[in-house]
Amino acid sequence: MKSEPNYNISSFYRFCTIVQQIAESRGSIKKASLFANYLKSLQESTDIALACRFIGEGAFSTVSGKKASIGHRTIAVCAAQFCEIDYDLVFKPCRTATGSSSETIEKLMENLPDATIKRTPKGLSLQEIESAFIQLESISKRTEKEALLQAFWGMMTPIEIKYFIRIMGQGSLRIGFEARSIINALSSAFDADTEKVRYAHMITGSLEKAALLAIENRLNEARFRLFHPLAFMLATPSEPEDIESIQDYIAEEKFDGMRCQLHAEGKKVKLFSRDLNEVTDAFPEICSHFESMHLAPIVLDGEICVFKENTILPFQQLQKRMGVKKPTPKLLSDYPVVFIAYDVLYHENETTFDLPLNERRILLDRICLGHGIKISRQMEIQSADQVHQLFDEALLNGNEGLMLKKKDSTYEYGQRKKTWIKIKKPGGSLDTVIMYAHAGSGKRGGTYSDFTLGISVKDNPKYSEQFIPIGKAYGGYTDDELKKINKAIKPLVVERFGPTLSLKPGIIVELEFDDIQINKRTKAGYTLRLPRFKAIRWDLSPNDADTLEDVERLYQARLNRKRRDQKAGNSLIDYGIKDLD
Amino acid sequence: MLDYQLKGYHGIVLPKLDIGLDSSGPDAEHIFISHAHADHLPRDRNMHVYATPATSKLMRIRGFKGDITTLNFGQKLTLPHADVSLYPAGHILGSAMIGIQSDEGHILYTGDYRTPPSPVTEGFLHPDRVDYFITEATFPLPIYKWKPHEIIFEEIRTFALESLNEGATPVFFCYNLGKAQEVMHALAPLKLTIQIHGAGKQLCDVYTEFGYNLGNYEAYNKATVQDHNVLITPLSSLEQPMISNIRKKRLAYVSGWAAHESRRVQLGVDKLIVLSDHIDFFELIKICEKIEPKMVYITHTPNPKVVQHFLHEKGIASVPLNLESHDEE
Repeated sequence: MKSEPNYNISSFYRFCTIVQQIAESRGSIKKASLFANYLKSLQESTDIALACRFIGEGAFSTVSGKKASIGHRTIAVCAAQFCEIDYDLVFKPCRTATGSSSETIEKLMENLPDATIKRTPKGLSLQEIESAFIQLESISKRTEKEALLQAFWGMMTPIEIKYFIRIMGQGSLRIGFEARSIINALSSAFDADTEKVRYAHMITGSLEKAALLAIENRLNEARFRLFHPLAFMLATPSEPEDIESIQDYIAEEKFDGMRCQLHAEGKKVKLFSRDLNEVTDAFPEICSHFESMHLAPIVLDGEICVFKENTILPFQQLQKRMGVKKPTPKLLSDYPVVFIAYDVLYHENETTFDLPLNERRILLDRICLGHGIKISRQMEIQSADQVHQLFDEALLNGNEGLMLKKKDSTYEYGQRKKTWIKIKKPGGSLDTVIMYAHAGSGKRGGTYSDFTLGISVKDNPKYSEQFIPIGKAYGGYTDDELKKINKAIKPLVVERFGPTLSLKPGIIVELEFDDIQINKRTKAGYTLRLPRFKAIRWDLSPNDADTLEDVERLYQARLNRKRRDQKAGNSLIDYGIKDLD
Repeated sequence: MLDYQLKGYHGIVLPKLDIGLDSSGPDAEHIFISHAHADHLPRDRNMHVYATPATSKLMRIRGFKGDITTLNFGQKLTLPHADVSLYPAGHILGSAMIGIQSDEGHILYTGDYRTPPSPVTEGFLHPDRVDYFITEATFPLPIYKWKPHEIIFEEIRTFALESLNEGATPVFFCYNLGKAQEVMHALAPLKLTIQIHGAGKQLCDVYTEFGYNLGNYEAYNKATVQDHNVLITPLSSLEQPMISNIRKKRLAYVSGWAAHESRRVQLGVDKLIVLSDHIDFFELIKICEKIEPKMVYITHTPNPKVVQHFLHEKGIASVPLNLESHDEE
């Protein structure tokens, strides 16, 4: 064992040990106080801001649009190489056992003599870690990226390596400590008003920036600036029957597109996606349309959809446009997009998100009418029955479902319970085979409650296996059904790694899902959105499982479903049509 | 090659030698039981078996009614076709590896084993050379490497003291034969009162009888468990009223599987303490290198492939024996 170098206050190692302590403590109050004490111990505001970024955003601020962009597989292969083990033979079974690539790497780095000998921990500082991420981002050649990654690992302890990888993934650190708690920690560390920190987070879209304002006692200066995205308001799923005083809501159809925030002033237009990244270049026709309007400063919340021959086309078609920075003329004419507005957040140098929805709507209606902007149609509702009726209409129009929004609600970022509600219905179902069972969490601890489901490829020459995974489900069954499954999997166990069981095909589940999407990174080439149990088909055997061809057929059927013409203005009001006539 | 048959759901029979290893039924005349965990005990509770004196006592508590011939460690038993000696396995009290000398060569069957041995066992000892090595591999991946007992025991003591200082009852979830007694042995210097769930107490009495210090312990008592005591109970009680009735508590899961971080959220415990009574991956490879077997047979494992791969790289031949794995942790 190597002795650990003298780690100082602002070292990344110390940050990692705090993060680990947060992971190992229960309750948001305890977690927040651990982090608050850590923040208070840091001397420089740069370090405080970095700590907030690393724990809550990632290697780069979410609003920077930057990513270290190293794939999961590259990292895993690189780690296997560093540890001098075979990726397929050794690394993969280890990852299957832990269920986490970064945790596997941490353990292998700790345990394997070939790995420990290459590591001389240097006690890198938070700022040195930031510069490591910048270097990794600036290099585009994969081999160089890998070499650099390995060089950084050579200067770290295993726990630093684990969190370095998780932070680089720009996702959650999986320590049960999310934005809301980080904001609480920040406000308690700097004696700042929690609501003000929250507001600063919404305005800046960044925990790091909110932290800097809090430290420097400048939260009052947190002001909206045009062309800097605001955090989005999100909706909670529900059933019409579960909604209290339904007449307090208005309904809109839920478009099957991409959420977008549009900032415009005169001839300048910028578009931001839900993760607050700029996507302006991907949708030039929307930009030129809005540029031509010469709008006074404005921010609109809305949806980008593929719109052709007066019809809203499915999300799968929009996927062809997403992430394409310079779309070709062919792509533009094959998949033309429009922006459909449904909210206004800023208008003529005033933020409007503190106004109630019905007042924002009057304003939005006026703006859209004046400039020929498409706007969602709003419908008054009286009863749950009526919601069901409107829902069916929405599907006929080619949309996903309904949005119900409370008329007197302000626009608040994140998920505010039951202020915005989404109502959706399953997109279809497949008969699948249980391939793996995973031990459940929380109140389901001790039973196997999460399942990886597979479809058949036994007659498909492209695959050597009988079944391949199509999705992971952890709900939709009753307690009794779960008990029955747990009994039935026992004789099917082939392999067991603590919480994960690998099973012989035997149990068939009718799996319900919201949608099918193409995903080239998976074995099947498709992923299901929100897969869940519909029924356990004890009457069927693995031979009855649906095949990859069935998935393909369902995908095509959803893609080619009939959609109503929007001339009648079913889902949206097109204030632009008059001009065209 | 070794001539063997797999019997029942966990036993092995060596037909030429008329010997059964953790097997049940009439396939062999001489049946040896490695230790008293349920997945190694014969299904037939009325047959004749050989076992160590400690295993014999523990088997009786667990309901074995048959005839047991006790055999001490190092004591050679001469049978018509082979000589058999038991070696301390370091897994739980009484656990033995079974060494068999015959015309077939020297066979060593490990049962479950642990080296460095658990401090509440008779230690660990193995023959210098073995021709056929039948080994368990419950933890067969390089992500499993155990810390020294003293470090883990310190973690256990710290967890108990910190919990009590917070006014909470420390609860250790661990298997009631072997793991429970290790945790109690670790806690013994603190002189706290340890309450142990129902069936566990009788097993602890056997440990005490054999001279191991388990500290002050008593059976679980609903009325007093929260009076500055420590509770030791199997994981199956996690959602039982016994646990939910404790007003303020801190929960620790003590197992080799605690090496998986996901267990914390899955079980909803405060602390994962990685303590296993099985051999870890690295010690397993090391012992195979040391005893230079002609063939390693890998049993009781979720996946033998990685062990086989590492052994192959060291020039040691190995094959899996497909016994079902019923891990007791």
